[in-house]
Amino acid sequence: MMTCKLQLGGAFAFARSNNHSVSIESSSLMVATDHQNKTNNNLLPRELAMATTCVPTIKPLLEKELRTHPQETNNDIINSGKFGRFGGKFVPETLIVCMSQLEAEFNKAIHDETFKAELAEALRDFAGRETPLYYARRLSEHYKINNNGKGPDIYLKREDLNHGGSHKINNALGQAMIAKRMGRNTVVTATASGQHGIATAAACAKLGLDCTVFMAAKEMEKECSNVKLMKLLGAKVEGVNGSYKDAASEAFRSWVGEMEKSYHLTGSAVGPHPCPTMVREFQSVIGRETRKQALEKWGGKPDVLIACVGTGSNALGLFHEYLHDMDVRLIGVEAAGCGLDSGKHSSTLAAGDVGVYHGALTYLLQDQDGQILPPHSIASGMEYPGVSPELSYLKESGRAEFSVATDQEALDAYERLCKLEGIFPSLEAAHALAILDNLVPTLSDGSKVIVNCSGCGDKDAALVFDHKLFHGKV
Amino acid sequence: MASSITSSSSRLFPITRDSQPTSHSPSNFSKFASFPSSSSSSASKTSSYISCSLTRDPSVLPLEEQTNLSNGSVPFQRPDSFGRFGKFGGKYVPETLIHALTELEAAFHTLSADEEFQKELAGILRDYVGRETPLYFAERLTEHYKRENGEGPHIYLKREDLNHTGAHKINNAVAQALLAKCLGKKRIIAETGAGQHGVATATVCARFGLECIVYMGAQDMERQALNVFRMRLLGAEVRPVHSGTATLKDATSEAIRDWVTNVETTHYILGSVAGPHPYPMMVRQFHAVIGKETRKQALEKWGGKPDVLIACVGGGSNAMGLFHEFVDDKDVRLIGVEAAGFGLDSGKHAATLTKGEVGVLHGAMSYLLQDDDGQIVEPHSISAGLDYPGVGPEHSFLKDIGRAEYYSITDEEALEAFKRVSRLEGIIPALETSHALAYLEKVCPTLPNGAKVVVNFSGRGDKDVHTAIKYLKV
Repeated sequence: MMTCKLQLGGAFAFARSNNHSVSIESSSLMVATDHQNKTNNNLLPRELAMATTCVPTIKPLLEKELRTHPQETNNDIINSGKFGRFGGKFVPETLIVCMSQLEAEFNKAIHDETFKAELAEALRDFAGRETPLYYARRLSEHYKINNNGKGPDIYLKREDLNHGGSHKINNALGQAMIAKRMGRNTVVTATASGQHGIATAAACAKLGLDCTVFMAAKEMEKECSNVKLMKLLGAKVEGVNGSYKDAASEAFRSWVGEMEKSYHLTGSAVGPHPCPTMVREFQSVIGRETRKQALEKWGGKPDVLIACVGTGSNALGLFHEYLHDMDVRLIGVEAAGCGLDSGKHSSTLAAGDVGVYHGALTYLLQDQDGQILPPHSIASGMEYPGVSPELSYLKESGRAEFSVATDQEALDAYERLCKLEGIFPSLEAAHALAILDNLVPTLSDGSKVIVNCSGCGDKDAALVFDHKLFHGKV
Repeated sequence: MASSITSSSSRLFPITRDSQPTSHSPSNFSKFASFPSSSSSSASKTSSYISCSLTRDPSVLPLEEQTNLSNGSVPFQRPDSFGRFGKFGGKYVPETLIHALTELEAAFHTLSADEEFQKELAGILRDYVGRETPLYFAERLTEHYKRENGEGPHIYLKREDLNHTGAHKINNAVAQALLAKCLGKKRIIAETGAGQHGVATATVCARFGLECIVYMGAQDMERQALNVFRMRLLGAEVRPVHSGTATLKDATSEAIRDWVTNVETTHYILGSVAGPHPYPMMVRQFHAVIGKETRKQALEKWGGKPDVLIACVGGGSNAMGLFHEFVDDKDVRLIGVEAAGFGLDSGKHAATLTKGEVGVLHGAMSYLLQDDDGQIVEPHSISAGLDYPGVGPEHSFLKDIGRAEYYSITDEEALEAFKRVSRLEGIIPALETSHALAYLEKVCPTLPNGAKVVVNFSGRGDKDVHTAIKYLKV
């Protein structure tokens, strides 16, 4: 085991790697690269401050943990936890063993035919997969009509039809099944808009696990229907002051206090390794189905894939299958909130810098002193100051492009889809739909565009109603 | 479930004294002038002129031969060419609507045999609605009903809640909208009480680019402002009705007036298996996909047929959709569950088949809740969709010949089932569906070990969250 230690004014954070993943040279390189790439003179204090942003209380190592050796991991699926320079396992010493155990367990599970069969059955019969790839004829014609009948064919991957109303169930089910395998009887998690909380509560109810969901108090008010749904599903919902990031921290802290009995279920492709990889793997069913369906429908591949990006789980779920198909464009759309210049947005990849947040090196919204900037978006699920490390890598490597849509553009796209297709997209998914206005004129006639309709937005109707009322449009 | 004909969603014809001609009143004679009838089962049209008169007691009518076959199976022709199921059903409508109904029936039969139509409909059900819906083994619910010796039935849920818009209703709405389009109708009307049927209708109209007008009582519009907003977001025009009590029955009158006036250009989307012929048959056929899929899935899962089918009954469409496929399989028990509201003796219920008498309502002869003067008794149920004083005529027929059994469940029992299933399976049922689930408490102890029970999970309960939370004090 090789360790490098960063002293941070009284608190210790260990960046640790094991023999199977990253060598000490690389971990130093990880830090060093940032030094080299950064032009900002305040790099060191900022990075150190980032590493302290979310450090849970450090507990003395249990003897049992010291003696446990993680099993040999098959690296076919599980990588080192690094995506280029991004990712990693920036967690306190006490948690390293846990994360390694989780990684081992995950690796075992996804190579276990019984687990895979059970998960496939649960996704089919409980979640309702496979979700359709739906040709949005009227939406396509809406764009073609202004262009002599020419334009791309727009398809929607209908993750809104999943049980729970979003793509979140794919991951919640997979991880809840892992929790059960590990003998845990409680699951803790954090949720932004409530979608992930609902999916987790549903999966836990099905599997007979107790469930506690942490949620920002202001979101609980905004999304009170979702809170009620979680409670009806048997989950305990705990309010946290602040925003999603604070709820996420609280969930993590709560888990650390009960590590033997409980399982921390990450809903998004962020956090320390193996979380981003796990979430992406469970969500990648979206892209696998899409490939099969595209072949069935038009005998080829999509030309463009578009997905909204809050933390990045639905985007990665769609994109991952096509990472090596260089002829397929991958476009992620972040929330520009009130506009990038307003300072009230959540456009991490567009306007953020690299740092360590919630256990991973990634892009994040931070000020000059390395303090997290509060994000804003009309869509709660997009309101996160960080982003998946894998998406950070895809941005830096140029494999994926990232765009933004404002609150108003998302609202317009929401209404457009309602009127043209009778589908309420979630406000998150509406961001992905919003960029079609500018993108479509640049695409060739008959090109195939797939937008991930990551969630169902009939619950968002109340929010849209209030917004229009407030602006005197009702 | 009475998707369009409930006291909170719609009634086809007004049932107050000052309303339309007496053809729908149970205590009056109706006389029809000659009209062309269309053949009910062949694609070619045959014209014959028939004159018939009807008295209050239909048993004196010269009915077509409709005797049960000696092996106890139900006769093939359901309904007959008069639109009758035994003595039930028929076409008790004003003269002005006869032609539209006849035309509709002819179109239905033609399109049923049309491969292109069937292929298009199947594609829409797959890609837009999200069919086929899973047949889900409810493991924890099954466990819950195991007797002390470990024996008990196996419970499966037919997941109509996973459909687009969250209920089975869309199967019929989408098919009727497609049919209307094939008929060249550009205008769709519906009436709605709480808004559910209005939203489903508005959804399909947006999908097909049809003009949609939903009539809603002004009082209901105030109480259901969010559903009104949803319908408007979907592009529908919601017309307030101020006459009478400004509620559902008045909205229905207005919708009828509209239809009578615009019958050439307009199709009336009726949401349940009630109403005048051909609606009960048509709506049943459009929902019959539920039963067809169930047969196939049962064969795949356990190599046999279900032993018991259970469904809630308001108007009866989800139940007929599940039952129809199995009506001729006499080893399959069919159980319909109505709303007992505050209890059968309280007078505040909607248990039409248990406590009602035969009469004519909304264009069809069927059981209905009426007083000694033949006036409709106001029904009650905690669930809007079951809150209907009538029932589809085919259910009345199946009850009378003993092919199907009908029971009832109180509001309280339904709420308990709502909570039980949410907690045990992580799926929140609609309050309507909860009635079917509540009946498991009564039937499971009587079933042999391993008996296969399929409950039609007709809708999801997100819409009922506020009601349930209030009563359950979660």
